[in-house]
Amino acid sequence: MKGASVGTSVGAGPPPCRTAGGAARAALERLVRAGADPVSYLRERRAAGANPAVGYVCGYVPEEVILAAGLHPVRLGGRPGPVGPADSRLQSFACSFARACLDGLLTLMGSEVAGVVFAYTCDSLRAAAESWRIHAPRGTFFHFLNLPARLKGRGVEDYTRAALSRFALSLQAVEGGRPVTGEGLEAAVRLTAAVRAGLGRLAAVRSARPDILPGSTFIAVARGATVLDREEVARDLETLAADLEAVVEAGPLPDDRAGLRPRVLVTGGFLETEGPLRLIEEAGLDIAADDLCLGGRGLAFGAGGGGGGVREGARPGTDAERDAESAAERALAHLASLYLGRVPCPTKHPPERRFTFVCDEAARHGVDGVVFLLQKFCDPHAFDYPELRDRLGSAGYPSLLLEVEQGALSRGQALTRLEAFAEGLREAVEGGRAG
Amino acid sequence: MKTATMPDRRLKVDSELKRLILRHYLGAFRAKRPLTRRPVAWVTSGAPVEILLALGILPVYPENYGALCGSRKAAVPYCEEAEKAGYSLDLCAYARNSIGSMLSGRGELGGRSLPAPDLLLTTKNICGVVVKWWEVVARHYGCPLFVLDTPFAADGVTPEQKEYVRGQLEDLVDFCLRATRRRRPPREAFERRLSEVLDLSGQATALWQELQVLRRNSPTPASALDMFTNLFPIVTLRGTQACVDYYRKVRDELSERVRRGEGAVPGERFRLVWDNIAIWYNFDLVRYLHRRGAAFVGETYTDAWGLYDFKEARVGDPLDAMAELYSLVLLNVGLEVRKERLFRMVRLQRADGVVFHSCRSCKTYSLGQYELARAVREELGLPTLIIEADMVDSRAFASGPTMTRIDAFLELLSGGL
Repeated sequence: MKGASVGTSVGAGPPPCRTAGGAARAALERLVRAGADPVSYLRERRAAGANPAVGYVCGYVPEEVILAAGLHPVRLGGRPGPVGPADSRLQSFACSFARACLDGLLTLMGSEVAGVVFAYTCDSLRAAAESWRIHAPRGTFFHFLNLPARLKGRGVEDYTRAALSRFALSLQAVEGGRPVTGEGLEAAVRLTAAVRAGLGRLAAVRSARPDILPGSTFIAVARGATVLDREEVARDLETLAADLEAVVEAGPLPDDRAGLRPRVLVTGGFLETEGPLRLIEEAGLDIAADDLCLGGRGLAFGAGGGGGGVREGARPGTDAERDAESAAERALAHLASLYLGRVPCPTKHPPERRFTFVCDEAARHGVDGVVFLLQKFCDPHAFDYPELRDRLGSAGYPSLLLEVEQGALSRGQALTRLEAFAEGLREAVEGGRAG
Repeated sequence: MKTATMPDRRLKVDSELKRLILRHYLGAFRAKRPLTRRPVAWVTSGAPVEILLALGILPVYPENYGALCGSRKAAVPYCEEAEKAGYSLDLCAYARNSIGSMLSGRGELGGRSLPAPDLLLTTKNICGVVVKWWEVVARHYGCPLFVLDTPFAADGVTPEQKEYVRGQLEDLVDFCLRATRRRRPPREAFERRLSEVLDLSGQATALWQELQVLRRNSPTPASALDMFTNLFPIVTLRGTQACVDYYRKVRDELSERVRRGEGAVPGERFRLVWDNIAIWYNFDLVRYLHRRGAAFVGETYTDAWGLYDFKEARVGDPLDAMAELYSLVLLNVGLEVRKERLFRMVRLQRADGVVFHSCRSCKTYSLGQYELARAVREELGLPTLIIEADMVDSRAFASGPTMTRIDAFLELLSGGL
């Protein structure tokens, strides 16, 4: 097995990634460190007198609104490891991520942010939000972004815009929060689009050369991009992407794939750590694409998500009606249509676009198989699994299902299954080449 | 769990209930025959069924079918069928039961599964799971699906929420007509029919509330077994005359029990409230409590069906009122509201303790129970018991530890009184 060392030595050492070094290496390490230890980063920020941080759970919370309110958005992940105080708040059959998330808030993160925003996604996270609402330190800002479950249909866009409008207004209650203006929101949309574009370039590098940018490192970078100051993130991603693209150009992937590791697409929800991805790589598989909250799915915004600004005519209505709306409301409407138009998470209806997205991504990135990382007790993903597995199977992609709990896989058993899966894929790839 | 035999004080009206259930399911199968054809919709328990009834569509409830399979202790093989197809053991057991029965084509209705739907309606007000479950059904049958999206009403319904849901209710009417290839009835005729159905729903709901009021008596004339069993009409036949007629009889029988001072549980010593869905395959557990003088005087689950009070719908704009009522169902409100409703029930029914069924399958109902139990203990000073189980999947129930906990709870009740 060639390239076996790739992805096996993350630990406390530098993240596996073959940058040319210098500024790119520094950018990489900054991003990965912030993602792995957001608490330290937030403390440093506070000590430096930076603007207050607002934590948010779920990628459906538009961080653009938090930025436009003059605040610093931080995506909250779960606290990996054994369950702590959340155990006495939520039963063991609550989604593992929701429990880990509540645990993170109850132990460390809750006191490091000025407030927390939950969005409606699933039953478990709703319960975690309710519990946090009861146990949050007094005076902490809390907002439940009550988003629709439907992505289409009568009233969906208007309702979403109204929910975002409430959210924008609520942020003024955070100390340092300012009114969200159309101009501010447009700037925030451009900034987050630049971040997504930077990550998109890295995703392309990962696909072209997973040996120089392993999938686990890509997700670690994407995680850091939800923690660090976004201007800094955009700059770091630009530096890193330019460097890695140069490396790719200098040494293109050989045409003959002999001896290369099988390529997989990984699909699932939010991962608390990159541990499960490293295990996949350790088993001899290259992660060439993903459909994860932090990765490919989180980047898959439609037209306008690239920072094209507010599209006139994005909403129905006469010119006079549109003129009557404030610039902020127009910008919020644009944002609503962006988020409704992105590749959906399984909590949203209808699910068809995600199924198509995963199958298309598998084809686009030329993967040999698919690994499902199912968060224990995650209902939406579990309901979609048989359908997606069958569609992928019909398209010629074998798959493997692994359950993730508290950010980890059961190492011994998972590794054995992954190695057997990798072996099967390798044989299929070699058989295909021979044929 | 072994239990000594003690005849239940069953309600006389129960024999009529069996006929109603049989008639309902036979009617659903008859609706699929050419000569007696009528569109069949699979709906969730929180669906605005009045609209369907007003359009002549027959609603069928997979959740109720799950309860039926569970009470016959027959759900596990169907759950296993779904698991074989890749549906996780951790998913809702009602869903697994329904999907397994659907995939295998076998069921508990004379060996058959539910009759195939012509259209599907799911309502997010009870959980997000039913949206995913109905998507599976829609793909299997290639059937049109309507998702009624009722945003979380933590502290009430905001104007934009109400408008959003109301708009969807209007769309639901169009969807039903399209799915059943029918012409739109004249507006006045439809509104008149909808008003009649809402009136029948309201009457049934009022009677259901009366039953709960009668249970405030000591001894209580009806315990959890009576109420769980008698849920069928208010869930499945709400909006029909048969439902109203049936509950009049139940009301009369309970009133007669109160008049005679006859309790559902001989020697009632403790009065309890139950939180969550019934453990359909294990009514023996409730009987065990009965034998020790513990009667259930209220259940948050049965009480939830008393919330469909359509008085406003009959005098004002029906869709407006429906949008609000169907958004405020028990599982779509915040924990604070749930706590208020629970506390109110405990006070009105004069309960001595609360039993929480921590139902592995039902996350919307169960998550939050730790907070509620803590509040009952700390704010009301009453003992609580948490039972880990599932509504229909008996594999999730461990008899030994559960009975030990029940005995400890009973000791606590005895010591405290």
